Amino acid sequence: MPLDEIFVKGARQHNLKDIDVAIPRDRFVVITGLSGSGKSSLAFDTIYAEGQRRYVESLSAYARQFLGQMDKPDVDYISGLSPAISIDQKGGSHNPRSTVGTVTEIYDYLRLLYARVGRPHCPKCGRLIQQQRAEQIVDSVLELPPGTRIMLLAPLVKGRKGEYHKIFEDIRRAGFVRVRVDGVVHDVNDEIKLDRYKMHTIEVVVDRLVVPRTEDRGLRTEQDDLSPQSSDLSPDVGRIADSVEQALKLGSGTMIVTVADGEERVYSEQFACVVCDISLGEIAPRNFSFNSPHGACPDCTGLGHRLEIDPALVIMNRSLSIAEGAIVPWGRAGVNGNAWYRAILAALARHYGFSTRTPVSELSQRHLDLVLYGTGGERIPFRHESRHGGRVHEFKVQFEGVIPNLERRYRETESEYIRADIERYMATRPCDLQGRPPEA
Amino acid sequence: MTVVGRPINEVTSLSIAAALELFTALEERRPFKDARLARPARARWPKERGLVLTDREFTIARQILKEIWARLGFLVDVGLEYLTLDRTAGTLSGGEAQRIRLATQIGSGLMGVVYILDEPSIGLHQRDNARLIRTLKRLRDIGNTLIVVEHDEETIRSADHIVDMGPGAGEHGGGVVAAGTLEDVISCPESLTGQFLSGARSIPVPPSRRRGSGKSLRIKGARENNLKGIDVSIPLGTFACVTGVSGSGKSSLISQVLYRALAQALHQARDRAGAYDSIEGLELLDKVIEIDQSPIGRTPRSNPATYTGLFTPIRELFAQVPEARIRGYLPGRFSFNVKGGRCEACEGDGILKIEMQFLPDVYVPCEVCKGRRYNRETLEVRYKGRNIAEVLDMTVEEALGFFEAIPPVKAKLQTLYDVGLGYIHLGQPATTLSGGEAQRVKLSAELSRRATGRTIYILDEPTTGLHFADTGKLLNVLARLADAGNTVVVIEHNLDVIKTADWIIDLGPEGGDAGGEVIGVGTPEQLAENPRSFTGQFLRRVLNERPASVA
Repeated sequence: MPLDEIFVKGARQHNLKDIDVAIPRDRFVVITGLSGSGKSSLAFDTIYAEGQRRYVESLSAYARQFLGQMDKPDVDYISGLSPAISIDQKGGSHNPRSTVGTVTEIYDYLRLLYARVGRPHCPKCGRLIQQQRAEQIVDSVLELPPGTRIMLLAPLVKGRKGEYHKIFEDIRRAGFVRVRVDGVVHDVNDEIKLDRYKMHTIEVVVDRLVVPRTEDRGLRTEQDDLSPQSSDLSPDVGRIADSVEQALKLGSGTMIVTVADGEERVYSEQFACVVCDISLGEIAPRNFSFNSPHGACPDCTGLGHRLEIDPALVIMNRSLSIAEGAIVPWGRAGVNGNAWYRAILAALARHYGFSTRTPVSELSQRHLDLVLYGTGGERIPFRHESRHGGRVHEFKVQFEGVIPNLERRYRETESEYIRADIERYMATRPCDLQGRPPEA
Repeated sequence: MTVVGRPINEVTSLSIAAALELFTALEERRPFKDARLARPARARWPKERGLVLTDREFTIARQILKEIWARLGFLVDVGLEYLTLDRTAGTLSGGEAQRIRLATQIGSGLMGVVYILDEPSIGLHQRDNARLIRTLKRLRDIGNTLIVVEHDEETIRSADHIVDMGPGAGEHGGGVVAAGTLEDVISCPESLTGQFLSGARSIPVPPSRRRGSGKSLRIKGARENNLKGIDVSIPLGTFACVTGVSGSGKSSLISQVLYRALAQALHQARDRAGAYDSIEGLELLDKVIEIDQSPIGRTPRSNPATYTGLFTPIRELFAQVPEARIRGYLPGRFSFNVKGGRCEACEGDGILKIEMQFLPDVYVPCEVCKGRRYNRETLEVRYKGRNIAEVLDMTVEEALGFFEAIPPVKAKLQTLYDVGLGYIHLGQPATTLSGGEAQRVKLSAELSRRATGRTIYILDEPTTGLHFADTGKLLNVLARLADAGNTVVVIEHNLDVIKTADWIIDLGPEGGDAGGEVIGVGTPEQLAENPRSFTGQFLRRVLNERPASVA
């Protein structure tokens, strides 16, 4: 049997007329013909189906039940067949979470790339976040021009209310002399009175010093860096290192260096934004997956768009008035719709001075917004006259608005019917975050 | 988190072409310029944007970059450079999804596999076809067998081996007409494909172009997706064709803006239309109909006779037969879908499904009705000697002669015959029709409707799955629709269709963000003179090429 061709003998699938076909292997073969002439019957329903079937046959009956059902094509035999892969136009994924990036697996690599070499930025202020060890902080201090007067601070309280007697006491006991409160340096022994209802920022002054000149730095030459055991650093450098470490310890991993002319540098040992005080935690590829709760936008769960009530669908015909049924989901609220909706809309109109008999297109934007989005918590007087006895109840109610009402009912309902009904007024809108992981 | 100043969502919003440039720049460790960004970036970290990876970052990233770079390269090779990475897979066309899978397969590097592809050239502009063929050949060169079902001339010409099926379709098909090299097929006189390839047969360029009604439909400021706020005018009463390279915005303009806006205005559809300023000339239309290749029904109970409305007059006819009147049978008696006349053992299916647990289901003809779908009493009613089951078993061609004397039935059969479906059986289950056949059944249903002359038909790549000869038939149908005063708008890459159109709107110049503009409008002859139009370049070749030029 020649191994250089696929030989199909006696194919009778669908309209095939008991044909024999030889297809050379390792070649580029085109099957052509009129629509309906049996091209697909030969290529897909015979050759591919048989290749698949033979493979599936080799599996256990148990495994087979999970695979699609394979009909044996109507053919005498096919020789020279190797495993077949079909690339057809069907079977495209309709999962909204599937994108070009994910199906090509490019996105998986991108996630890895970002998790490993991405530079973190604070989600709030956008500043670059850097994790720094004490040595790096020291090096960065030493890069300042020699002779600069600097102050090393350890933040203790950041923008919080209180009087903080105990903190000052602790500072004093620890032997520090100065403290910076709300940007002003005080002597710890002075009495510091804080307004307990205002926000305060308290930092301990760990050290005040002058950046040493290069020649005074003792052993900071390259060859000495290679011998870490030599602890014979110049007193200045050693002191800076000690103070940095202490400041980091006191400030739980954060410290501030102030330069005499007012510049302030904040350093952090952790993945945290020193300004906004947001800590980032460890970053893993999953944080960049819009399909994982660790990465997905919480608003749209990573889909990039969400179903929202569309005002244009709620009010389809703007030439109608509310009484004529302009608000489609509430029916002809002015005529024979739900009595409650009719009454509340009437009360709303009375209170804010518009008419439910005016066409919607002539209502002011403010009045329309009140109808659609509610009174925002404001209570409006409401009169209810009972249908039979003529008894009148008067009370004040909040009006939540047509759209929040629909949204709430959509969320709360357990009825498929109601849900489907409300969906008629919804449209997909792009989510503001566009499926982007919030901290990414 | 950013890499060279770009958060991940910015990278995924890049087109594949731009992403490839970005990653090439990263690999070569030079700054990436933003010039070709798919969407203008809101630079949040401008200082870092010019950066390259540090040594440490580069060491870590090298392997990852290589993988990403290779995959992007494959996608470009199959002509998908205009897609963005964050494009939802569900919104891709069938051809695009197929090419993505093709790109993934090349990456897998397997050998000794038989790859079977169904029309990979669909949705691809002529310009990008050569690249696709190169990709296919590469897959072959690494030791695989490729079997491609295809109608595209260029692909057929590039094949090592051609199998031509036929000679006709359906009943008349199923045989091998010619097999061998290109020369073998061309020299085979019975092969329709060979005749088209040799130029002995071809779709003629129409001698004159329709002028239309002189009125037009004007779309102003279309901005959906990559459309650049363009104004497009479609002359009514003509056969207009929208062209342009893949991703240039053809579907955005026609399917998302035009079709949905018209459906909203004319049929109160609820789908939100794509962004545009206004459409003028709506009052000149009363109907919009989109005809695609989706199946006409997914149940075996739907068939060409039911779909085209042919079955109703046939049933009424049977109810008029003296025998039926004596028995008091109404038209419903002759339906296999309701109780009364159908065989109750199989409920009118004609076949019974026997579930076999873990083995494939087995279908057996119903033993009560022998697959005829009706009960015995119903089958005793005959018109011209045939009962209803026998009528359903007729081909359109046979039925045409049989119902000669019944005008409503004949008219509908005639349209089915005219679109080249003479061979299908009236009762053939809709599930067994090919995409091209389903499309023509729909077209014939439209044709047999009373023409208002104010209908606009929209077709997206109607030649999918169509052989040269089928394309010719389709064009005849479309011409008839336009001749009746209707407007036909077709999105197409097939040059045979483009050259036959009365009016062409060419979008481009490129795909994705570099597209979305009107490159040229006019008759095919006018467009062929347009130096900016890729379509025009190919068109020039086709228009100059006269039949009998053997390759």
